[in-house]
Order: sequence, then structure tokens, then C-alpha cells
Amino acid sequence: MKRRALLGGLAGAAALAAAGCGSGKDSGSGGKTEVTIWQQKFTDQEDAWYKKAVAAYNAAQDKVKVVHQIVPADAWDQKMKAAQAAGKAPDVFTLNYNKVQGFARTSQIQALDGVIAADKWSGLQDSVVGSITYKGKKYGYPMLVEPSAVLYYRKDLFAKAGLDPEKPPASWAELIDYGKKLTTKQVSGFSTAGNQIDMGWSTWGLQWNAAGHLPISDDWSQPRATDPAYKQLLQAYQDLYKQGVMPKQPLAAYADATPFGQGKAAMMACGSWAASVLLSDFPKVVGNVAAAPMPSFDGDATKPTATLGGWTWVIDGKSTKAQAAADFIAYVLAGDPALLVDYFKTTKFSKYSPRTAVADTISSDPAAKENPWAQTIQDKVVKYAKPEPTYDWSISLAFGKAIEKALQGKDIDTALKEADAEIKDIIAKNNLAGQGTTS
Amino acid sequence: MTRLLVTIGKVFLAGLFLLSALFPLAWMLIAGFKSKTEVVQTPFQFFPEVWRWENYTQILEDPAFLRSIGVTFVGALLFAALSLVVNSLGAYAFARLDFAFKRTLWVVVITTMFIPGIAIMLTSFIVVTQLHMLDTMAVLVVPGAASGLQVFFLRQYYLGVPVALEEAALIDGAGRWRIFLHIFTPISKGALVVVGVTSFLAFWNAYVWPVLTITDANLFQIQQYLATFRSDRSSELGLLMAGSTLAALPVILLFLAFQKQIIGGIRISGMK
Amino acid sequence: MTTTAGAATSVAAPGTREVSGARSRRRRHGDTKVAFVMLAPLVVLLAIFVIWPLLHAVYISFFTWSFYASSEFVGLDNYVNVLTDQAFLASVLRGLGFAAMVVPAQLVIAFAFANLVKSFSGRMAGLLKVTIYVPAVISEVIASIIFTIIYAYRGGILNWALSLVGRDDTAWLGETGTALPAIAVPAIWIGMGIASLIMLAGLLDIPEAYYEVASLDGAGWWAKMVHITLPLMKNIFLYLLVTGFAGSLQFLVVPLVMTNGGPLESTTLPNLFIFRHFTNDLYAGYPIAAALLLFLVLGSVSAVIFRLVRSEKAVDG
Repeated sequence: MKRRALLGGLAGAAALAAAGCGSGKDSGSGGKTEVTIWQQKFTDQEDAWYKKAVAAYNAAQDKVKVVHQIVPADAWDQKMKAAQAAGKAPDVFTLNYNKVQGFARTSQIQALDGVIAADKWSGLQDSVVGSITYKGKKYGYPMLVEPSAVLYYRKDLFAKAGLDPEKPPASWAELIDYGKKLTTKQVSGFSTAGNQIDMGWSTWGLQWNAAGHLPISDDWSQPRATDPAYKQLLQAYQDLYKQGVMPKQPLAAYADATPFGQGKAAMMACGSWAASVLLSDFPKVVGNVAAAPMPSFDGDATKPTATLGGWTWVIDGKSTKAQAAADFIAYVLAGDPALLVDYFKTTKFSKYSPRTAVADTISSDPAAKENPWAQTIQDKVVKYAKPEPTYDWSISLAFGKAIEKALQGKDIDTALKEADAEIKDIIAKNNLAGQGTTS
Repeated sequence: MTRLLVTIGKVFLAGLFLLSALFPLAWMLIAGFKSKTEVVQTPFQFFPEVWRWENYTQILEDPAFLRSIGVTFVGALLFAALSLVVNSLGAYAFARLDFAFKRTLWVVVITTMFIPGIAIMLTSFIVVTQLHMLDTMAVLVVPGAASGLQVFFLRQYYLGVPVALEEAALIDGAGRWRIFLHIFTPISKGALVVVGVTSFLAFWNAYVWPVLTITDANLFQIQQYLATFRSDRSSELGLLMAGSTLAALPVILLFLAFQKQIIGGIRISGMK
Repeated sequence: MTTTAGAATSVAAPGTREVSGARSRRRRHGDTKVAFVMLAPLVVLLAIFVIWPLLHAVYISFFTWSFYASSEFVGLDNYVNVLTDQAFLASVLRGLGFAAMVVPAQLVIAFAFANLVKSFSGRMAGLLKVTIYVPAVISEVIASIIFTIIYAYRGGILNWALSLVGRDDTAWLGETGTALPAIAVPAIWIGMGIASLIMLAGLLDIPEAYYEVASLDGAGWWAKMVHITLPLMKNIFLYLLVTGFAGSLQFLVVPLVMTNGGPLESTTLPNLFIFRHFTNDLYAGYPIAAALLLFLVLGSVSAVIFRLVRSEKAVDG
């Protein structure tokens, strides 16, 4: 009796496993081609826009059914690698500019020139197209750009500290000086990235600014981290930290503007996206906040202080439905500007479109005034910004490590030397010499 | 006088234990009543300005929350049941039976305890993909059910069951299955509850595996649901804390319901 | 923590030997048939979902393994690269240091707790037992977030409480000196419940008669502790040592969420190091080789400790 019950239980378990085997769903819902898109989890409003865009395309034609999936950012890499290993990668996915060329080099994504018609590429900013081009072919369709570093500051706290609210710091010396004046027991004078990962990418623009190049030669054959011009950058971080202008522990991740909104810092370096957080979560603070470009080391405001990050849509290297996937991408990103304008609206105009048609519609939209900093950022930051570097992330990380060492009070020359050696090692291990493109 | 001091000291120490175990949970509960910008605001505020019950009601009214908690609950029960059957049978064989390759098998089973998850994450995903298990309850329940750790725990427990009990049954001509079901299973109820509860908890708190294998929103697990409140750019901290509190409640209740068995079951010799 | 229900230690049962005695009367391997049937579900599931993936992973670790370009056989290169990588070795040493903070703290707390519970009776003991276990229901991700909120530099409750006694804000997670101990606290908190209950179980298993006899001989609290409790609890300590050690070397989520490995790598535990390479590297061979090496470290150190446990009282397979 009991034995039978037990065997029954086992059989049940086996059936469960078998049920798993049976219900594997294949594509072909009603003869339609199924195209999958994975999107990294953004804000709820952005996610809702993606859903809408997919629905719009599914309604607009009857040959392809797009299946949309939101993937949590903290599990993106695991999910993507597992899917790639098992041949289950999505046809379309979102990718940062700085990763496009590396993915192209390793065949993880495919060229779009053949599947997206030439006229769909017109009206895109040249520098952005440069970021998605590898060996003369285009590998991703740009969706948006957002400058990685903008200086936000509290005008009321400036006035209280005896500073002119209309005059943001123009040099790093001023930034540190103002920061000291603004620092109180409860409020940090200036808040920015505090760990090597955040510093690895958020300082790209400042690396350009300090030295006029990135810490690797243009053709990626030699490290250039020991350029003495980088010392001022590391020195600035060291001073900010040592003098207590910067909080001793990051108030939040670099990308999160919440602490600034909460009044924990009087100045903050953050990307343009901070605007949408401030506007939606801290409406009372907005009137007291101004935006400016990050200061330039030599005071020249036309030098870059930021890089243009953001997202592109790419097609998996093994996707067998490239044409269908490309048609979908073209419909959403290169089609009717209204669809995209809607996206920039939901993100409170805190991001910028690299497509002229879309950018023009946005700037003529009266609602754009809702974001009081957008124009400043466009004119003073985006205008001079550089595209993101396209080399391996480990190189950026090596330089981020050097800045963190400086921050923690280590010797600056040694830190740069160690970064230089590490970059050299990465070049050798990954055969990067000669892979670089001029940008 | 010394006696009184000792008692006071003990009560103080007990209070300290209670506080350190429960404080972080209480802080989560309270944070669940705050708005997202209030959770770590300055100047510091212990209690929320306004108690935002809506954080909790909003989640409770979200069909996605109810569905994920229901699906996870069912999955966790199935997982606990399967884990009990598979591991207790194996443990009994290792504890009491004499068979070929026993030593080798034992070493293999026990070693699986130490495999870092990341070493086999990709390759086990390949396996479940090839078995067409993606997007089914089976992919959550079946792969992790066999556990070296649980077998080890139960085997130690079974080793402690006096042999006299089964000697008599063997002489009466009872088979191994009968002995396992009628002698070992009832006598080790407590240990089995421990295995059940810990398996249940492991399933309940699983995050990465469900993210990898489940894309069907109808099968979303509770930790996947909670992840929707997190973001690099500004997390919904109030909602996240409220959701985590709500997600912990059913498990705490389950634990309270079985507390006697859990605490009894953890007795090592098995016999009182 | 992976030290879940491993509760029962090798506190061997009386009667183990007798079983062998009973068995010897029967023919050798006499239970093979029934044993294989009973073991079948366990062995089949482990084989499919653990052993095969493990063998596959070992195979892969000899290749560069890219999912798009063809994989290249590199022999032991991945292993050599891992073993010559200072950062990997440093992370393993750091992991051992972390374990050296977490495990003893857990043992001491659990031991103190168990003794305390034993000295109480009835409702208070019950309340304590239930309470200590409750943290186990929280997932590591959520626990890490809760503690990050507690440690927040500005607006965190810890710095607020300290400000009441006049201390300035402390960067618990921002200074190389405090970050690792600071993340050890949630690690201890998460595992405290199970360790305490196991300890309590071991304590309750010591026959009361021993203490009574000792009392008659005039032994005090300290003498009983040193001569009865501690020696009889040795196996429990050893068991918690093994599982605690294996568990604390494998922490990933806690440092990932709380510090991202910083400042200056001071909280980059071995699994986080591997995870970094897993997410950043173009090839998967290296991180898999590193994970397998970690497996080797865990397995062999645990084997040594197990042997020690076994030598106490034979619990032979």
C-alpha cells in the first residue's frame, strides 16, 4: 500500500519532469515569424514605452510577432551568457554604445547595413554613427544618447554659502573651493562616483578633458595612462576626498540622483538622466537646482567633459531572423518620429535623440520646457561631448582603479604606473594592438 | 544578590539577541511605510512622516504580486516534497544498506555540496534547455531537488536511529521499503521537517535561476517580482521594503506553524 | 549561506557499529538491488543536473569558450592564468580572512545563544528559538539592501545612533579598514539562526546526568563548561566550522550589492572576483576554471575537516 503511494509520488515527479519536456513552446504562432527582444529593466515609464512600441509594431503588420522581455539589470549578464551558451539568445537586444564594437569584433552581433536600408540611416549624428561602426559596417541602431557627466548644483545653498548662484565653478580649483564652502556636517559639498566601477565610466569625459586623449593610444597598441596630464585629474579626486568635500562613502551609485534630491549634497556630478529623477521625485527642489558642464581643467569650456552614453538596438550574431528583426528595429527607431518623441517625453526630456527628425520635433515641443536644464545640457555639454570609448571594459576599469587609489590616498604616480602596466597587459592578452579606431 | 544580577544579565543578553535578530526586519517593515525618498533621508527620521499604508496595499492589489507569491508558494511546496522523497530515500540507503560502489557514490554525493554555483550555471542551463524544460514549473522544481547537503543531514540523523528497532522488523520479515516507511519516516519526522523547511526557503529566495529559466510572466517567482523595484538609477526603496516584508510573511507563518518540529527535529541523536 | 539544513553533525549514533554487525551476518552487498532503486532518483537527478554540467564545465575550462567564434583548445592555460593572477589569489586570501571573521563570530554567538536558551525555560526559550531563526526567511539580496540602508553614510540609522553620542558620520562601507567587517555583519546575521539552533541541539543532547554528577563533585559553572560542555560539543563546532567555512568563502551577493567589491578591492571575495570575470570577459573559460579551482579549495579543506570529525567517532560510509 504505502509502497505504491511512494512509487506514485516518484511517478508524479517524473511526470512533472516530463510535462516540462512536453510543453516547450516553439515559434510559429499562427504562421507568424517570432522575433524576441530583450530590454534591460529601466524605469517603469520606459518599460511601458517599450511594451507600447512592441504592441504598435505587432498591430501594424501581420507577418511578424515580436515577443518582448524585460530583464533585470543585475541579472542581465548571467541571463544573456546562459542564453548565448544554449543558443537561446534573443534576436534583438539593447546594448550600450561602448560595447558595440567589442561585440562586433567577437561576432556576437551582426552588421545591419544589409538589412536596414541606407535611407533609414540618414539624419543620424555622425559621431554616434561612428560609435556603432566597426570595420566600415554599422552594427547597432542608435536609440538615444545621454551625456555621462553634468554638474548639478543647489542655488539656494550657493547663496547661503555666500557664492553667486549664477556662477557655477569653472575650474577644478573653484570646484574644490566652492565645495569646501558648501560642506557642512549634514551636507557634502560635492558628490560624485566613489568606486572604481562607477569612476571607470563616469570619468571618460574628464579623461579626455585632462589629457586630450584616453589612456590608450588610438590604435590600441600602447597604454597612455602615465601621461602627466592625468595627474591633475587624480589629484582633484584625492583633494576632494581628503578635504571632506566628497562624502567618505558614496551616497548612492553614481547614476542615482536621489541623495542630491534629498539635500545630502550641494553639488553633484551625474548624467543627464538625473533630471527625470529630480523632476518626478523631488518637485520641490527643482526650482533651486541649476545645471552646468563639469569644470574644465584649463578652464576652456569648449573641451569635452562628458561622453555620450546611451542605448542602441542590435541583432544577435546567430539570429536566423535578421531581416524580420531589422524591420522591427527600423519601424521603431527609424520610422515615425512620433513614437520616439513619446519616449523622450516619458523620460522628461532628460535624454537626447541622435536623429535630427526626432530631435527637431522635441525641441519644438512646448512640453520640453518642463525640463529646465535640458537646453543648458544640450548647448554646453552634449555639444562638446565625445562618444564613449569602444575598447574593452577592463581598460576603463584599470583607469577607474587608478582614480580610486588616488582617492584612497595612495601615491598618484604609482597609481598611474600600475594602470599603465595593467592596460599593457590587457592589450597583450586580448590582442588589441591595431584594433583601435580613431575617435 | 548575585543570583539577581545573573538573571538581569541573562535577560539583558536575551534582549540583545532578540534585538539583533529582529531589528533589521523591523527596519525593513518600517521602511516599507516610507516614500522612496524618505527611506534614507536627512535629517534622519525614525518613523515615516505619514504612514504610507498604500505601499502595502498597492502591492497587495497588484495581480502580478499575488500571482508570483502563489506560484512560488506552490513551487516551493512541490520542491520541498520532491526534495524530501529523493533525499530521504538516498540518505536511508547510505545510512543502512550495504551495496556495491557505496563508498564511491557517497563521495560523489557529498562533493556536490561544494560546487560553486557559477561553475555549473551555464552548463546546467544548457542541460535544461536541451530537455525543453525552460518556462515550466519543472525547471524550477526538479534540477535542485537532489542535494548532497540534505542527504548528508538526513543520513547523520538515520545513523542515530537505534538499530534494535529495525532488527525486530527484519526478523519479522519486513522489507527495506517497509522499514523505511514505517519505522524511519515516522521516527525522523523532525529531521524531515527541517529538510522541508530549508528546501522551501531555498526555493523561496532563489533569484538568478528563475531569471535565467523563466520568461513567462505567469510563472514569475516572488524574487523576480521584487527585482522590479530595483534599479541602478533610483530604486523604489519604500515599495521594495514593503514587498519584501509581504514576501517574508507567508514563510514566517509557515515557520511558526512548524516551530515545534523544527526545533525538535534539529536534535541530533534523534532519540529523546 | 549554503549551510542550510546540514544540521546533523557527525555526532555518531550509538548503534552504528551494531548495524555493521547485523549486516555482516548477511551476504556482502546484499542490499544492492533495493539500494539502487532507493538511490535511483537521487543519483539520476544529480547526474543530470549537477554531475554532467560539472563534467561539461571541466571540459570547457580547457578551451577559450566563446559562444560565437569557434572555441580554441588551450590546455591548462586558463588554470595557469588564474593561478598566476595575483588578484585571484588575493581574493581567496581575502575570502579566508572573511571566513575568519564570520565563522568564529557565528560560533561564539550561537554558543552563547544556545547556553542562554538552555538556561531559560518555557515560553522565553520558545520565543528565543523562533526569533533567532526568523532572519533566515530573508533572501541575501534583500538582507544586503537592508544593511546598506542601515550603513548609509548620511541618513543611515547607525550613524544617526552614533551621532546621539557625539560621533561624526562614519563611512562604514567607504573605508578599506571597515568595509570587510561591515559586510561580515549581514553575513553573520543571515546564518546566525541555523547555527544557533544546531548548537542548541548539540547542547540539549548532552545528558543532564553528567552535570548533576559534576555538581555533586563540587564543580562550578566554569569547570562544567571546560570539562563537559566543550569537549562534548567538539563535533558540533567542527561541523559548523566546515559548513560555515564553505559558506562564507562563497558569498557573492552581499559584497556585490553592498560595496561592489570596493573600496580598493577590500571586499572582492573569491566568488565576486569570478563573477566579475564572468560578466566582463569575452570568453567563459577563465571564470569557469577559477570557479573549479575554488571548488577544489573548498572540497579539499572540507575533506580535511571532515576527516578530523570522523576520527573522533567513526561514522563510516
